[in-house]
Amino acid sequence: MQPPSSEPSRELVQAIFLGASSLPDPATRRAYLQSACGNNLQLRARVEDALAAQAGAEDFFARGAQALGRLEITGADVKAVEPKAPALDEDLKIEDGRFKLLQKIGEGGCGVVYMAEQEKPIRRRVALKVIKLGMDTKSVIARFEAERQALALMDHPNIAHVFEAGTTSTGRPYFAMELVKGIRITDYCDQNQLDTRERLELFIQVCHAIQHAHQKGVIHRDIKPSNILVTLRDGVAVPKVIDFGIAKAIQGKLTDQTFFTAYENFIGTPAYMSPEQAVISAVDVDTRSDIYSLGVLLYELLTGRTPFETNELFKGGFDEWRRTLLDQEPQRPSAVVTALQGNERQMIAGQRQADAPQLISILKGDLDWIVMKALEKDRQRRYETANGLAMDVGRYLHCEPVVARPPSRVYRFQKLARRNWGVFAATGAVAAALIIGLSISTVMFFKARESERRQTELRKLAEQAQASESVLRREAEARAKITEAALSASQGNLNQAANLLVDVAAFPSNPSLDAVSAFRSVGEFSARQGQWRTAGQYFLALIDIDKFDDWDVVTLDYQSCGVVLAESKDIAAYEKFRKMAAAGFSNTTNVDAASRILKTCLFQPINDDTVKELKPLGDEVEQWIAAQDTQTINDWLIIPISLWKFRCGDNDTAFDYCREKLYDKTMPPSCLAPMRLIVAMVCQQRGNTSAAQAQFVLARDVINAQFRPQLQHGNRSGGMWYDWVADRILLREAADKLGMPAEIPESGK
Amino acid sequence: MPFDDLTRVLNAAAHGEPSASSELFPLVYDELRKLAALRLQRGLQNQTLQPTALVHEAWLQLTRAGDRKWQNRAHFFGAAAAAMRQIMIEVARKKSRLKRGGSLIRLNIEDMEIAAVTPEDHVLLIDEALTKLEAESPEEARVVVLKFFGGLTNGEVAEFLGTSRRTVDRQWAAAKVWMFQQIRRETSN
Repeated sequence: MQPPSSEPSRELVQAIFLGASSLPDPATRRAYLQSACGNNLQLRARVEDALAAQAGAEDFFARGAQALGRLEITGADVKAVEPKAPALDEDLKIEDGRFKLLQKIGEGGCGVVYMAEQEKPIRRRVALKVIKLGMDTKSVIARFEAERQALALMDHPNIAHVFEAGTTSTGRPYFAMELVKGIRITDYCDQNQLDTRERLELFIQVCHAIQHAHQKGVIHRDIKPSNILVTLRDGVAVPKVIDFGIAKAIQGKLTDQTFFTAYENFIGTPAYMSPEQAVISAVDVDTRSDIYSLGVLLYELLTGRTPFETNELFKGGFDEWRRTLLDQEPQRPSAVVTALQGNERQMIAGQRQADAPQLISILKGDLDWIVMKALEKDRQRRYETANGLAMDVGRYLHCEPVVARPPSRVYRFQKLARRNWGVFAATGAVAAALIIGLSISTVMFFKARESERRQTELRKLAEQAQASESVLRREAEARAKITEAALSASQGNLNQAANLLVDVAAFPSNPSLDAVSAFRSVGEFSARQGQWRTAGQYFLALIDIDKFDDWDVVTLDYQSCGVVLAESKDIAAYEKFRKMAAAGFSNTTNVDAASRILKTCLFQPINDDTVKELKPLGDEVEQWIAAQDTQTINDWLIIPISLWKFRCGDNDTAFDYCREKLYDKTMPPSCLAPMRLIVAMVCQQRGNTSAAQAQFVLARDVINAQFRPQLQHGNRSGGMWYDWVADRILLREAADKLGMPAEIPESGK
Repeated sequence: MPFDDLTRVLNAAAHGEPSASSELFPLVYDELRKLAALRLQRGLQNQTLQPTALVHEAWLQLTRAGDRKWQNRAHFFGAAAAAMRQIMIEVARKKSRLKRGGSLIRLNIEDMEIAAVTPEDHVLLIDEALTKLEAESPEEARVVVLKFFGGLTNGEVAEFLGTSRRTVDRQWAAAKVWMFQQIRRETSN
């Protein structure tokens, strides 16, 4: 063997050294060295050196430990040492040195913000945001870019501008923003003793800034006084919203921490996540979370307090905090001020140019309800938009009646019932987030070892990120369109919403939750107009986004999706959907969810493979029904189970499930009609044509009436639009089997 | 620095938040300094502190005051070891300068009785070699910081780094020899 000429690697020397040092017997050790080093004399020499140094090293370190003890460090020494910040950003050099970093002014989960001086094109101070070292994974870079794109789209006097963007010499993307010199909005108001009206006027401007962001598809996610700075321009106070974007985690409110820490990991490295996990992040936050935060801000501006004080919140730990936020109604602002003690009460009122009774009477009523509406636990009950909130505040200022109203008793009860699901869903999301967070950081730890290789990789990634800029821009614009569509849809302007969404070439890869309501409304709108393929597209996108919503919502969206795909005659799409639905819900133990999915998968005859796929769902429903008293079985379970049996060829059982119910006068018509159709088809196969035809005609008239002149949205008890579309699909199948027309021209009209 | 913040960061570290470790350092440092300040207030400025005792005291302080839910001892010690290294090196430098009136002398360990090396120089030599090791093998350097400056056992180091006890044994053994060889080469030049 030729001795290799190159210097032996440190790892190799070390491995052999460690092996040899564990062999105390000299002869054994020599034999080992001989076999391990072979003819490589250099290697052998290095290992021998190390072995020879071992005893000295042990001694030296033992004495070193003693020496440490003999350093005689005193309290005064410790106090005198100035801590050096860990060298995080030494390599941060902006290309061609156009920025001079002055000081670090903030740090988030992924990014660091510096105050920097720009020389060209004009000399000015800017805030420079750079991805943090070690956080520069491909997806973080992509998100960082997305944030920058979104910010670049925004142009509002109350939002800090983005001047430019680029890449540092080591390949980390950065962007330079307007440096806002100002003080927190709450401090500004208190220091200048603004009265309630002046405070509300500032607040309205903040709402407009947030509205602008929402219209551009950007959610702030971290609205709080320290992110809303008031500067004076020509003596006029101008609030500026700073720090948009996802990278704001660590600095977030203490109350948000665990969620966001977990969340931060989530968005940190999506490359390692399955799509459905990534959706959790989308579900967590939408524009209505910003509305809530605006509500908290308003609360604080009015009362000097936040709805739940941080200390109180954390007294019982994380679970307690979550429960508080989910279950506990905050005190109304007027009640908070009423409950304050002497001095503090006077101070709070004084800062608002009022005495305590005056302030309380100002807050009582409209302002109380405006704040409480923004702070609704159920985001559907909040203001739909920041504009809506601003308008209501404006109405108050103009002494017009406000939209916000005290909640009714019925509503309170409904909320109580709904809340349990919220707790459940939140627990799941957090647990999942933590588990994923842990595994990601382990991966990142190992990745960190290959720092050199990463540097080159990094540069490549940054180049890629820039190359995909146009893609990101398109996505940002698509998000903006979707948000606009959601606004239109929520205002009942469905035509406009549909037009906006038509322009969206491809749905963005990670749309906001706003998209949910937009897609659902426009999907239904298209369906009711008979545009099945378009509707199918929306609902397919919808079930992809809303996965982690309440099961009730999710399964209803699946039902809509199933019927529109079946109606669209796109067999392949329906087949694919059926597979996905069956796989996604095969483990559910919720009989209502199982029955809905089962039904939506049965609009076409099925083959043996599909039977196998759907069997867990069918069994779940069947076993549940078998265990119940027949009186208590929900009517809506009958169609899925009976249709299932019918599709499996078990006509007798299918027939038996329906027979009793046919004479139940309380049965909703959209539930009864399909049962008649199943019975009709079974009778036809048994040769009982007259019974079949009788049932068929009864069902046909009821179903067709629903589509004349146009299908309505419907309601849960009488039948939703998708129930009727489903019924009509079955009607056509039955008509085919019976050789009768599915539709007959209306007579006598 | 409020305990809340430290607790929060430690919690984040426990949940695998990667940025937490770098954030942890200044917080733990602050905590150590606060403890030291407390001693000064009590008029104990000349009483010698055992470095490891100081770290442990800081730890106790934390667990008493903070949220008991987190038990992430390892992460705390990781940051505390780094902080202690900085403190001890600063102190050693200051004292070494006082005694020698300036630059660190070159000494030949082959010729010299090791006992004749002052404790300050001894610690500074190790720190110098450790800085070199950091460039060569950051993982081994971490083990040394935790062991030597943090006073952690091999088992604790393994727990902190998420490796096996055996790996830590090997890294520690290899690092000591490598550093000693460096020091010997430096000082004999």
